[in-house]
Amino acid sequence: MSASCYIPENLTEALEIRKKVHAIPLAGGTDLMVQAKRGIGINPVFPAPIMIITNLEELKGIRVEEDGTLVIGALTTSAEIASDERVFYHIRKAASLMGAVSLRNSATIGGNIANASPKGDLPQPLILLDAEVVLSSIDGERSMKVDDFITGAKKTALKDDEIIKEIRVRPVKATHLFYHKIGTRRANAISKLSLSILADVEDGIVKDFRASSGAAGNKVKRDRNVEMILIGKHIEELPSLVEEFTSAWDGILSPHAMPKYRRESTRRMLSYFLERIAAGAEPGIIE
Amino acid sequence: MLDNKISFTLNGKKVEFIGDPLRRLIDTLREDFGLTGVKEGCGEGECGACSVIKDGKLVTSCIIPMGSVAGSDIWTIEGIRDTELGAIIIEAFADGGAVQCGFCIPGMVLASYVLLSEKTNPSELEIREAISGNICRCTGYDLIVESIRLADSRRRGV
Repeated sequence: MSASCYIPENLTEALEIRKKVHAIPLAGGTDLMVQAKRGIGINPVFPAPIMIITNLEELKGIRVEEDGTLVIGALTTSAEIASDERVFYHIRKAASLMGAVSLRNSATIGGNIANASPKGDLPQPLILLDAEVVLSSIDGERSMKVDDFITGAKKTALKDDEIIKEIRVRPVKATHLFYHKIGTRRANAISKLSLSILADVEDGIVKDFRASSGAAGNKVKRDRNVEMILIGKHIEELPSLVEEFTSAWDGILSPHAMPKYRRESTRRMLSYFLERIAAGAEPGIIE
Repeated sequence: MLDNKISFTLNGKKVEFIGDPLRRLIDTLREDFGLTGVKEGCGEGECGACSVIKDGKLVTSCIIPMGSVAGSDIWTIEGIRDTELGAIIIEAFADGGAVQCGFCIPGMVLASYVLLSEKTNPSELEIREAISGNICRCTGYDLIVESIRLADSRRRGV
């Protein structure tokens, strides 16, 4: 039998348990239950106290605030995110390609961030959009960028008395969107590589450009300095900047395995996107 | 540690579980309630053999702890087979030759049940997406897809 297991009935109770015994929150269980699995008919065992928060209503649901900020409760499932039109394209797309139907019905956005796998599907688009994570403890709240929260492979800045409460995404202006996940098959695949890109083009000028690479290093890779290479440029200049930009982007990647494949695939996707924009692609999703 | 008492609805009846809240739902269903239509394949939530319907949604019971089940409405093949739509799907699977070894079939029927509860006249893509988390090593899926279409036409009376 495990150290101990709690089933708090509301957020306050959960925060008290978290403060007192530092119990690990179990949200959808799709990562933790697999890690703790021991066999048929044998109950899973965790090395630390666990608290099952799956049914805490306070942490569920999606809302949009007056200034357009999208707020996603930590226990919102991938299926709920994938089916909500208010959610920004890259997040919705990534959620819709996570695992298969039943996994998406259990897996939560908070769990996916807390698990902090470099291959995790949701941190990648969240980091693209400068999303923030709100951390709650019995003593108060603090928030930080998801990019700062995830500090490395399976490592986060979560304190042992905190719970991820919600994820906040401010509106981001963009005209051209791209999301691609490479897995071993269409459904139920863990990312081999993923890439999100967005550009905001106005009167031929690249007003904003962002990209984020998943499964290509110890955490999601993004670099504002590299993105700046393209920002402020006219789309006619893009072809001459492809080499400089993709090489600089390549420099921030640190794939743990098959580096050549991951680097070359990323370079090709970035080049493709830039070529399409340079060719005057209509605003929308670049397929 | 004190055992927790967890109440939930199982195939339409109110039931109680007393024990370790980390016990897997699949073990409770198979060993405590004798519902052996729930199969264990991978044990990691990937193959879909252990699929059950939780609050109207398809989930894999091998990675769900009992503590997550409190207050939920759970349906297994043993309950779904007695529903009107469940019976139609099962008959269509039999008539359509969708079943070979049968191990994945309870999960396939439940995935089909959720799909046909939500959608009428689903496209082939929608059908394939609905069963994309249910792995079958025998059939190559085509006869299962055809049988789901057959079930859909029969329940619409066409």
